[in-house]
Amino acid sequence: MRLPPFLKRLFGRTPRPAAGPSPCDSCPLAACAAGSRATVLCIVCPAHDAHRLRTLGLFEGVTVGVVDTRSGLVLDVRGSRLALGAAIAAGITVQPLRA
Amino acid sequence: MTAVAAIPHAAHVRAGPGTDSLRVALVGNPNAGKSTLFNALTGMRQRVANFPGVTVEHAEGSYARDSAWITVLDLPGTYSLAAQSPDEAVALDVLLGRARGVPAPDVIVVVVDAVNLERNLFFATQILELGRPTVIALNRMDRMVAEGTRIDVPELIHELRTVVIPVSATRGEGIERLRHAISCAPSLPPAPARIGLGDEMDVERRYAWIADVVERCVVRRTRSARTTSDRVDAVLLHRVWGPLIFLGILLLAFQAMFSAARPLADGIESLVAVAGALVTRVLPAGDLRSLLVDGVLAGVGSVLVFLPQIAILFLLIGLLEDSGYMARAAFAVDRYVRPLGLQGRSFVPLVSGYACAVPGIMATRTIQQREERLATIMVVPLMSCSARLPVYALLIAAFVPAVRVAGVVSLQSLTMLGMYLLGTVAALGMAAIFRRTLLRSDTRALIMELPRYSLPSPRVLLASVWQRVRIFLRRAGTVIFAISVLLWALARYPQPSTPTPPTPEAQLGASALGRIGHAIEPAVRPLGYDWKIGVSMIASFAAREVFVSTMGTIYSASAEEGGPALAQRLRGERDSRGRAVYTPLVAIGLMVFYVFALMCTSTIAITIRETGGGWRGLGWAALQFGYMLALAYGGALLVYRGGLALGLGGGG
Repeated sequence: MRLPPFLKRLFGRTPRPAAGPSPCDSCPLAACAAGSRATVLCIVCPAHDAHRLRTLGLFEGVTVGVVDTRSGLVLDVRGSRLALGAAIAAGITVQPLRA
Repeated sequence: MTAVAAIPHAAHVRAGPGTDSLRVALVGNPNAGKSTLFNALTGMRQRVANFPGVTVEHAEGSYARDSAWITVLDLPGTYSLAAQSPDEAVALDVLLGRARGVPAPDVIVVVVDAVNLERNLFFATQILELGRPTVIALNRMDRMVAEGTRIDVPELIHELRTVVIPVSATRGEGIERLRHAISCAPSLPPAPARIGLGDEMDVERRYAWIADVVERCVVRRTRSARTTSDRVDAVLLHRVWGPLIFLGILLLAFQAMFSAARPLADGIESLVAVAGALVTRVLPAGDLRSLLVDGVLAGVGSVLVFLPQIAILFLLIGLLEDSGYMARAAFAVDRYVRPLGLQGRSFVPLVSGYACAVPGIMATRTIQQREERLATIMVVPLMSCSARLPVYALLIAAFVPAVRVAGVVSLQSLTMLGMYLLGTVAALGMAAIFRRTLLRSDTRALIMELPRYSLPSPRVLLASVWQRVRIFLRRAGTVIFAISVLLWALARYPQPSTPTPPTPEAQLGASALGRIGHAIEPAVRPLGYDWKIGVSMIASFAAREVFVSTMGTIYSASAEEGGPALAQRLRGERDSRGRAVYTPLVAIGLMVFYVFALMCTSTIAITIRETGGGWRGLGWAALQFGYMLALAYGGALLVYRGGLALGLGGGG
């Protein structure tokens, strides 16, 4: 059954990368699998968002855990759970760590 | 700073054990357990107050210790000293003594969530660098112990160079030691600025320093990556199930509001009836008896009946908020409201709007962007608040049959849910319109902390429900009381000059109220209403629940004493040609009118205040009032005329 595009956007599954951390040097945070850990390399987003992320303890060099990737992202940042919208997650580049 | 630095602040002095007083500010990250600690410190001796000058509602409480009154302010949660939202700005202004008319606090208590130590210490170290007498309350220690994690408190004291008191606010452990530390704090020498990180913007160095301290002070047995909260979230944050579960929870809530509140409401109703019978027996027939029975008891009593439902509503909203679920709901709906130009964060004020638009509008302070915040403020009053509840409840009880659909849910609660959904959909639609026209801007990305799930503290819940119930009772005792008496007088005078005692119906028609009603009848006639409904609507522009009390007053004025309850009277009401005045169609149209119309002076006042005050605020409030009235009239007209055209107008 083919879903109309707007329904697909709402309910369709986001394509997931193959299980396990990818061996690449860097990839977007949004591409990491749930359960993996990664070190933030670079954050590209409006200044006020970057400032807020820094306040919450998320900046370059910090290692985060990816908790949930189903809608937006839920990260483990220093033991707290941080929910990020898809737009922000797309602007964060990370280096995945091997488990 | 000396032992007793503050001159007692006139507004806060109470007759107490002594003349000394100490002002304490509670600060900390959102979700650090501030409110629970505030409750544990002050008990029920608290109130919701406003700072003079800066208009923000905050909780203020006090307790006596030795010979002093300790006043505690519960400030909004803050992540850093660089304020980003209006909410944070207010907390910081008060903290730094920059707020006009509010003296800087004598002692600052930073509530630190031990479970989330690193992030919480970020703000705590910033506060320490202010060089003010500061006590750190290390909260949720019980949870740390349960998880097998140990914090070396002496080492932490050594590193931070300030008093650190481990507490468990939910269990009330360590509270007495915290009180002692608060009393001692002003007389301690100021701590030398050990951290010396200077520039508050130097986030990375500060976090590095903290990570180092945490490394030394915290002994973790295991660092399990997946917590129980995560496992619960695996279900609740599902992209399809998440929103569906949320809808299910709302449906359950409305069902509970109807069924659980019924016996209590019946109890209050019979109490009012007993009081009326008592007055009737004791007093001779005349104006005084009529004033008490038909004016005061009928008016105030008919609103009081809804007290249980309102208490349950606030209890349920508080439960969602304090358990940590509300943040998930906001996150789960973020992607769905984004196309409308809102973000998930706008969702919390909207849901609070189910309880009352006033706290809902105040909750928009957590939205950083101006246009998003304004759009949210403009639509919050469309969310059906607890004041509409009496109107819906009365009309539904009278005109929607109490049958069950599919054997489970009653048609009455479904109708109620329908009204709430209508308001919600309208709010989202209007927000989309505002964001595409007057309040255009990019929608900010969602960045939000998801607190751990926790069992809400019954004390905190009950305290907040009690606060709201008190506000409702005060309104019933003042605004609604005054309007009831006024309406009674308008409905009784002038009396027709007939030789024989007039029938109640004729007397009401001849009274001032009757004349006003007949004068405005042409405006409400197209909606299918008679003049009695028109009068109730006019009266309820001050506050919606007045509609019910006005109906109570009018119909008790036009009926013989000791008649049936209001809902039955409405069903039995006939017009001059013997047709039922209230067909189900009229009732539905009336409910739709109340879904949309902004009839609440408190909401108008808070909108003016929160949109910038002065003429600007007045402009926004006028726009809000105007568009909602247009929606209300249009919606009611559509329902009534559309229903008639479809042949649904038959008397029911």
